[in-house]
Amino acid sequence: MEVLTGWWDDYFWGAVIVAKVFIASLSLMILFGLIGAGAKLSNSRVAQKIAGAYTVIFRGTPEILVILLLYFGSAILLTSIAQIFNPEIKFVDVPPFWAGTIAISIIVGSYATETFRGAFLGVNPGSIEAARALGMSTLQTFIYIRIPEMWRIALPPFGNHMLSLIKDTALISIIGLNETLFVAKQAITVTGKPFTMYIVVGAIYLGFSSVITLAVMAIEKFGNRTTIDAK
Amino acid sequence: MDSMTDTETRPLIKMIKVNKFFGPFQALKNIDLEVYKGEKIVICGPSGSGKSTLIRCINRLEEHNDGNIIIDGIELTDKVEDIDAVRREVGMVFQSFNLFPHMTIAKNLMIAQQLVRKTPKAKAREIAMLYLERVKIPEQADKYPIQLSGGQQQRVAIARALCMRPEIILFDEPTSALDPEMINEVLDVMIDLARDGMTMVCVTHEMGFARSVADRVIFMDAGEIVEQAEPAEFFDNPENERTKVFLNQILSH
Repeated sequence: MEVLTGWWDDYFWGAVIVAKVFIASLSLMILFGLIGAGAKLSNSRVAQKIAGAYTVIFRGTPEILVILLLYFGSAILLTSIAQIFNPEIKFVDVPPFWAGTIAISIIVGSYATETFRGAFLGVNPGSIEAARALGMSTLQTFIYIRIPEMWRIALPPFGNHMLSLIKDTALISIIGLNETLFVAKQAITVTGKPFTMYIVVGAIYLGFSSVITLAVMAIEKFGNRTTIDAK
Repeated sequence: MDSMTDTETRPLIKMIKVNKFFGPFQALKNIDLEVYKGEKIVICGPSGSGKSTLIRCINRLEEHNDGNIIIDGIELTDKVEDIDAVRREVGMVFQSFNLFPHMTIAKNLMIAQQLVRKTPKAKAREIAMLYLERVKIPEQADKYPIQLSGGQQQRVAIARALCMRPEIILFDEPTSALDPEMINEVLDVMIDLARDGMTMVCVTHEMGFARSVADRVIFMDAGEIVEQAEPAEFFDNPENERTKVFLNQILSH
């Protein structure tokens, strides 16, 4: 393990970046998923079509390709916009953190769209009718009845989406984000020990995914307290 | 005439030539109905006769296609404020209870008070406990619906409707989903309410309840009100042939 001496802090900061990407992309992924599910369940044909295209495209293309296209695509787009105002500008650099975070949020968000859609449809229509009959408004019914019933249905598949997200963070190393896999590649060039360096990355990811799995189990237990017989 | 007599003589529910379609199927045909304060109405009829659709139109869980429905002076149209105003005054009890599964019993009774009536939490809890005592299950307040029997859940559902202090309560086959041994505990609560003067419209096949509690029994078939009469008259001397056939079927065994 002597080869690892001097690399621990690089791995640590790499892991911090993984955590940051995960937290940012988790929030965005939920947002994209809710918007996508809302569009699919809306009465607007246009919104349904757009959401349909969204899920078809991003569930049907390789994730690494989406990251590359979004990174270089946004850089080219921003460069040409910037050149309108100042022709001197040669290249606008997009931060890999945000390009990567947004890319994996869009990808996993397309899966979450289907999960959320199914969960909203799984809410007991009787609960909705009861709320309406009590005089609760559409918004109140949504916040107090639909969402609390829906997230319990969505949680198990949503846990899988979180695992996809954490693993997808490793793909962002390809556009130069200095997360753990990127650190490992640097360490390999210096030490020439690929197996050891990659094993460390694996251990870090396993640590993250274990924490996520345990968290999902705890939330599930909390959500299911209403269905556990405690008579 | 002064306004006092006006409110006393004006029907709480007035339906004028109401028609309702589901696609090409006509669920309600020219329904005329008036229900006055304190009246107990029982609606019966074969399945698919439109009885549930009728009461679901009263609080606009279903929209009628034409005719007029006026609840306590407010006509039901597309206006959301009017619909909400009517729903505040009309309670409903469903066949399948429809308690909110993720809330405790007490919270089930408090949520609409807090959100719709803007009752403060402590006061809402007090009212909730009052009505839980009335349906005789105050000890269940902090349990979840799944932990209660069907009969208990339905009593909670009645208490939830009562917490809103409605003028009218609609019952949509309240005992049809219950095991036989639980039917009476729910009927007892309904009889208690009736004695208290609550205006009630009940879709039910509990003919014993109809006979002892109803002021009027309405028989529906194929979307129409075929016959309506006081219970004694209705059960002992039904006029319409369809009513006779129906009564024979449900009372013969």
